[in-house]
Amino acid sequence: MRGRKWVVTLLLLGAGLLGAWAMADSQQKQPVDGSMSMDDLPELDTLETHVSMQAPKETLPNELTVVPVVSPGEYHVPPPIEDIPESKYGDMVNFGRNIFINTQKYAKRYVGNGLNCANCHLQEGRKPFAAPLWAAYPMYPMYREKSHQVVTFQERLQDCFKYSLNGIAPTLDSDEIKALTVYAQWLSTDIPNGTIVAGRGFARIDKSHDPSPFNGKVIYQQYCAMCHGEDMLGKKFADRPGYMFPPLAGADSYNKGAGMHKIKTCASFVKANMPLGRPYTLTDDQALEVCVHIWQQDRPWNPKKSMFMNMFMPVTEG
Amino acid sequence: MLVLGMLLFAVAGCKHGSGDKPLITEGERLATKGEGAVPACASCHGEKGEGNGAAGFPRLAGLNKDYLAKQLQDMAREKPPEGVVMEPVARDYSKTPRVNSDLTAFSPGLRHSPVMSPLARGLSEQQINAVSAYYASLSFTAKPLPADFQTLERGADLALRGKPEYGLPACISCHAPNGEGFGADFPPLAGQPPKYLIDQIDKWQTGERDNDPLALMKAVANQLTDADKINVAAYFANRTLVVKGQ
Repeated sequence: MRGRKWVVTLLLLGAGLLGAWAMADSQQKQPVDGSMSMDDLPELDTLETHVSMQAPKETLPNELTVVPVVSPGEYHVPPPIEDIPESKYGDMVNFGRNIFINTQKYAKRYVGNGLNCANCHLQEGRKPFAAPLWAAYPMYPMYREKSHQVVTFQERLQDCFKYSLNGIAPTLDSDEIKALTVYAQWLSTDIPNGTIVAGRGFARIDKSHDPSPFNGKVIYQQYCAMCHGEDMLGKKFADRPGYMFPPLAGADSYNKGAGMHKIKTCASFVKANMPLGRPYTLTDDQALEVCVHIWQQDRPWNPKKSMFMNMFMPVTEG
Repeated sequence: MLVLGMLLFAVAGCKHGSGDKPLITEGERLATKGEGAVPACASCHGEKGEGNGAAGFPRLAGLNKDYLAKQLQDMAREKPPEGVVMEPVARDYSKTPRVNSDLTAFSPGLRHSPVMSPLARGLSEQQINAVSAYYASLSFTAKPLPADFQTLERGADLALRGKPEYGLPACISCHAPNGEGFGADFPPLAGQPPKYLIDQIDKWQTGERDNDPLALMKAVANQLTDADKINVAAYFANRTLVVKGQ
């Protein structure tokens, strides 16, 4: 017994010595290979390190926005509207906010349907996972798959007018675009430029099977028809113009070029936001199914398709 | 064809006019005088259905007819034994045939109130419709209640923007931009006594009231703090509102 213990200790000692020799060897070799040692590297000032640099982006943006739970404190809280400064800048913020929540009144001539910006960008563009402005603004200019080019925030706003609002894009130097940009910038106060923040865009969707429009119709009637109407044409105010609940189809809805006309985008919005007040009640597959049902309805043509189609075809495809 | 159409219109017009009038007069008699064991509604809900702010009795004047009728029906419903869950629509579609006429979600709903439930049970369906039609036909002008600046500011923030970071929607996104209510599903908040609004949210939180479509309000009420209730009720009691009777 005693002899065996001795052998073990000797072996361990030998191994330790070997390891120490190897380490010493590698440390001696290092300055020979590289021209710079650790001491020569410039020291980084931690205070000046950018937030987005501390967490390097190694994955695609859409893989980072996977937080389908509502956990308060995790999301950016934009400044309260009482904090809008009383200055020319503040006036622009107010104008942008007015356009945003009441597009039908403040940007009427650019809008071709019955929608407002805040119909999709819920709660004045503040709600996480409802494409909040504060998460979008810091990401621009960015490359867009849709147009295959790098677009600025202002150009992105123009697309909203063209497709989601089925209207005419205000020019880049117009007051409306300027005001909306200022409003978005004000909402994203304290978010560094280029940062991907939690709550950006919509929730992520995974499908387990191909969605069925027949199930979608069942889900629509059960969960959506109460507000958006059996016919999907929304509900109008009785005593004044405008919609209380926005139309999901028909001439007053978004056109076929809009992001909401993509089933996946629609489903990721529905999953995180609908029915209002009870988000995440529909499963991913249910959200996809109801969006297929919505996708099948009539709505204005994609203005990109052709001028003649838009001029001579009926407003909707039906 | 044209003559036929005009005739149809005339008949429809007559029906509408003659159908509602007697119902409203019957409702008025019930509301002002009561019948049998049911006392007059006006004794608590005010001479013109304007409600009672101090006691927290709600305003009824100018509310939606179908909303009022549903509330009375829900109050008349017996409370089921504890632990019984009422499903509006069968969840497992594989076990039930799906027919389009069956698809509308109807929640039976419960609204238990120690005072109102026995009274609602004393009303027949005809009387419920009559009294609802009467109160829906009344006009109403709100008297804004003053509140301090900070309460109103916080109430306005919750009413107009909700709490986006908590996933809580704004009140106005369903109850209409000025809190005037919309349709049969979304009752008005403006012009209601603050005590009534706070009581109702409390009841949703305790489960005494459970008759909202899709349980939307239940989900919202469960996220409100006591301070939220006070602020937002004060904000809506501070709104001006003019309602024309239907």
